[in-house]
Amino acid sequence: MLANRPRILSVGTANPPERYTQEEVLAKYRMPNKMVRSLFKSGHIRTRHLMLPEPDEDGIPRETQGELLAKHRRGAMMMGSQAIERALEPMGLTTADIDYLAVISSTGFMLPGLTAMFIKHLGFRVDCSRVDIVGMGCNAGLNGLNPVASWASANPGRTALMVCCEVNSALYVYDEEIGNGVVNSLFGDGCAAVVVRADPEDERHFAPRILGFVSHIIPDTWDAMHYDWRDSHGKFAFNLARDVPYVLGTHAETPVTALLDRFGLKRRHISHWLVHSGGKKVIDAIKYTVGITEHDVRHTVGVLRDYGNLGSGSFLFSYQRLVAEGKVRRGDYGVMMTMGPGSTVETALIRW
Amino acid sequence: MRRFETLDYTESGEVAQITLSRPRTDMRMVRELTAVCDHLEDDSPCKVAVFRGADGVFSEGIDFEDFRPDTPMDIHGFNKWEKLCVRIERLPKVTVAALDGVARGGGVQLALVCDARIATPRTTLQLDEVHKGFLPGMATFRLAKYVGIGNAKRLIMQCPVVDADEAAALGILDEVCDDLDAGIAATIAAFGPIHTVSVALARRLLNESFATPFENAIGNFLAAQHRAISQSAFLDTLDKAQRSDG
Repeated sequence: MLANRPRILSVGTANPPERYTQEEVLAKYRMPNKMVRSLFKSGHIRTRHLMLPEPDEDGIPRETQGELLAKHRRGAMMMGSQAIERALEPMGLTTADIDYLAVISSTGFMLPGLTAMFIKHLGFRVDCSRVDIVGMGCNAGLNGLNPVASWASANPGRTALMVCCEVNSALYVYDEEIGNGVVNSLFGDGCAAVVVRADPEDERHFAPRILGFVSHIIPDTWDAMHYDWRDSHGKFAFNLARDVPYVLGTHAETPVTALLDRFGLKRRHISHWLVHSGGKKVIDAIKYTVGITEHDVRHTVGVLRDYGNLGSGSFLFSYQRLVAEGKVRRGDYGVMMTMGPGSTVETALIRW
Repeated sequence: MRRFETLDYTESGEVAQITLSRPRTDMRMVRELTAVCDHLEDDSPCKVAVFRGADGVFSEGIDFEDFRPDTPMDIHGFNKWEKLCVRIERLPKVTVAALDGVARGGGVQLALVCDARIATPRTTLQLDEVHKGFLPGMATFRLAKYVGIGNAKRLIMQCPVVDADEAAALGILDEVCDDLDAGIAATIAAFGPIHTVSVALARRLLNESFATPFENAIGNFLAAQHRAISQSAFLDTLDKAQRSDG
């Protein structure tokens, strides 16, 4: 049964070329609110890749909802094509080799979706099966990896590609509200593509098998994170409730314990933790509820520092750093963990 | 619970007792102590773990029998020992080191990872590794937190034998007691009521205290406090407070 489990064969990532320190974003626009300014100066995030417009004569970035949607499409195409190529190239694959394409995104609604756009422009076959998972937020990378892994198991030897594509600067709403200040100081743009396949031939690759998933939703907090239309702004705006980080932390233990119990494992058997870089507070909360150390979240913290919260693909940026570190050994277990609106905690167990 | 060769393990009520039955620590004892940690983490209902020695020796530390001077040295065994120390330091139990007699090298290192350290008057402590040409493990990291960097340099670099009273004055020992069993009982009583979650969180924050910048430590504290106040122990406290007010 284990032989049929799909493997994560390769991960590629991309970001827009423009990179800003928090101070540079503050300097670019007029942001008189001291509370908002202090959010930018908290120090847990140093740089982010963003697609930011030039300010108008009042120092304000004015973008209509239409312009934000166009930015989502433009950014997704630019980052998506690079991340896909970077994931496929090391495997000697091209887009024509992909049998199943899943695209995850929450930063803009399109019809037809990003899968159709990628197929039109990037050389995927017209008989490539596809699915767009839209609007599930930061946790969605694992909500997507679950069906991708199932498809790969059901279609041994055929290749799946999942692309997490988040143009978070297409969510930006500039005003004097703290809520939007939090969003504008936290999220960054990034895309991660991952190749998944169940094939005994892949034994030769040093690539982890995906063993299983456990989800956990907290229905009482369904409105703790939401993105909805604001008549006052003429655009959509994202909202985060104050206690979200700690609430997620408190509940994170439940799915992790369930996941490990299912495989007869304890915390000490897990060598690697790949946690979504949601923000400083939620990472702290996970450390003290799941009982993992600063060392365990070093890549989570590092990705947050260098990119901000990248949304659904963030944990794959951590995965890439872990692999690059070169310390993973055959037989090691890893837990992937993403948190987001719902409120929800998603987990997956992998083994090299 | 299985039988061990290098130690005796007993459980009585809320207290697990680990008696090191050999004066020196070899890899077999490291493996058996690791198995004890597995049991304490996974299965044991106890809230307290007491580490003690036998026959006038708490522990004389590392057993050089595992080494062969004619083969290349490797660091693997030291790494196993340090991993064991971290396991003990993070056990979900209150840990007590109860010393009677000689505590040397690894024996002192073991005492430093426990939540409480008590000893009889005849106990002596010595970190003698540097005089033997190696290092006293992560006592190089932990000792200064107890005694300050000046005292730590003297104890680690000059390797003096320190008696129980001096060790208590330095802050390595919490208490010197004539009757070790009575001392253990009093120490355990002082920890009560033991709420395992708040004990573990408080200990973790304290262990991290010297090595974490304040800006990170405050975030860690808030996360830990949120966890603590979500536990039944704190809700019970609130309930009692409100009833006595009413």
